[in-house]
Amino acid sequence: MARHPLRDTIAIVGVGSTPYGRDLQRSHLSLGLEAAVSAIRDAGIDKQEVDGICGSGMTPLAQGGAGFLSLQGSLGIERCTWGVNSWLGSAFVHAGAAVAAGLCDTALVVQTYMREPNMSRSASADPFRRVLEQFSDVGSDMGGGDFAKRWVHSGEPYAAWMKRYMHDYGVGKDAFAYMAVNNRSHGSRNPAAVMQQPITLEDYHASRMIWEPMQIYDMDVPVDCAEAHVITTAERARDLPNKPVYIHAMSLGGTRVGEFYENSLGWTENAHWVAAKGLWDRSELRLDDVDLFYPYDGYTIDAIGCVEAVGWCKPGEAGEFLKSNWDPADNILRLNGRTQVSTHGGGLALGRAGGANFYSEAVRQLRGTEGARQVPDAKNALINIGSFFHDPSAVMLRAD
Amino acid sequence: MRNYGPIDDVTVFELYPGIQLTRDNIEHYRALAEQKLVINRCGDCGYWIYPHRPMCPECWSLKVKPEEISGFGTVFMFTLLYQLRDPKSHIMEPVPVAAVELAEQKGLRYLSRIVNCAPEDIAHDMPVRLTWIEIGNMEWPAFEPVPGGLG
Ligand SMILES: [Zn+2]
Repeated sequence: MARHPLRDTIAIVGVGSTPYGRDLQRSHLSLGLEAAVSAIRDAGIDKQEVDGICGSGMTPLAQGGAGFLSLQGSLGIERCTWGVNSWLGSAFVHAGAAVAAGLCDTALVVQTYMREPNMSRSASADPFRRVLEQFSDVGSDMGGGDFAKRWVHSGEPYAAWMKRYMHDYGVGKDAFAYMAVNNRSHGSRNPAAVMQQPITLEDYHASRMIWEPMQIYDMDVPVDCAEAHVITTAERARDLPNKPVYIHAMSLGGTRVGEFYENSLGWTENAHWVAAKGLWDRSELRLDDVDLFYPYDGYTIDAIGCVEAVGWCKPGEAGEFLKSNWDPADNILRLNGRTQVSTHGGGLALGRAGGANFYSEAVRQLRGTEGARQVPDAKNALINIGSFFHDPSAVMLRAD
Repeated sequence: MRNYGPIDDVTVFELYPGIQLTRDNIEHYRALAEQKLVINRCGDCGYWIYPHRPMCPECWSLKVKPEEISGFGTVFMFTLLYQLRDPKSHIMEPVPVAAVELAEQKGLRYLSRIVNCAPEDIAHDMPVRLTWIEIGNMEWPAFEPVPGGLG
């Protein structure tokens, strides 16, 4: 076991989500503030109790986004002793780590997403989205003319990995298809989901080809949305109105691949495997204890990477595994006969939030407040958010 | 085909206005302008270093010098683009993008186009060799199948 002083010492006490939509005609900041206010109210705390903020985006001074400086100013929070911007799996983990380390007592995480102009023709025709893109800071010359830099922060290498995975393990697309159908089935039961229609395996295979072998149903749905979380100490959480959801263990992951994705290591050496090992080296809860599983689905190949990295099955066997753990009555996965997967529909159905909505759903399910969608007796949730290449998280949440 | 002769920094900046040129990568682009594909290499232990970084990750030597590669390699992984990032662009046939594993070192890969090969004939581990194609009045590296499959 690794050194692990934070075990169960911090808790998520507030969750806030905006509506999800393809064109909400709002800014990042407007969405982020709605989610933030909703999460702080949900936590039942005064806003001045927030003394740390993890915002969205890359650079603190960027405009047009929901960075921590903009959020603090907009929310009227007087003093923070900690602040950073982050995304994907990292944002939540950074905030939890800051509380655990005592850099702040109550951290607010806000993650905003908007459909980008390069994601559809209608989005590219929207001047607000075009100008947002123009002034956004991705910190590289991606798309700047050198084809060799095309895969710096690109989705295409995920498609290439999907193809290499199928080649190396001699498998078809079953794993990806079952994951896509599962998430769309759950989405059809989640009123917040942008994609309300469930799909069949046949629909999946017939869907439009984007980057062979990746099809449109392998890709999350670009939307406008925001999610926010309030994280504080376990001690403080016990005085607050919601049932505390504890962070039992968590890990990030990095490899020597760096920012040029074509330098990928082997399938079982990518960053999800590093994060998964980091978690298992710290968690007293094991895979058998997991009631709910939330693998990030920016692309279905991400989710399959998470399934294999945390050890539900051996590398290359996800297709067989998911097929044999399929519940045809509900058209969903029940791993080892019980563990449900991405109960909110994930990015494939609810919409693209960089994984932030997986944390929100896990917390709500562990509180036991989800009514008709509630998974009975859910105590432990395993969440894997992020990329093969960067910012992957592995987080074990638990409730009493 | 053009030969720019000895190319100074100012000219490299003029030739590649869309590229983020740095002290660490400019030799690569200076060479590209002369139609040579160079990759940084450690002067002490011989390790090839890519992307263009100033220190050898194996031995921490700072004696890193660009060196021309043989141009031979294999297709490690690839995808065929049916839709480009710019939604207004229309593609007549799928565009291949391949991570070519260069013969010089295991795991040393360069992202490139595959040309002179039908998209459906591209295969994992297929031997390829460097060639050059003109795009926007500039010569750029691409890879093509090695005739007879020799690597
Ligand atoms: Zn060296």
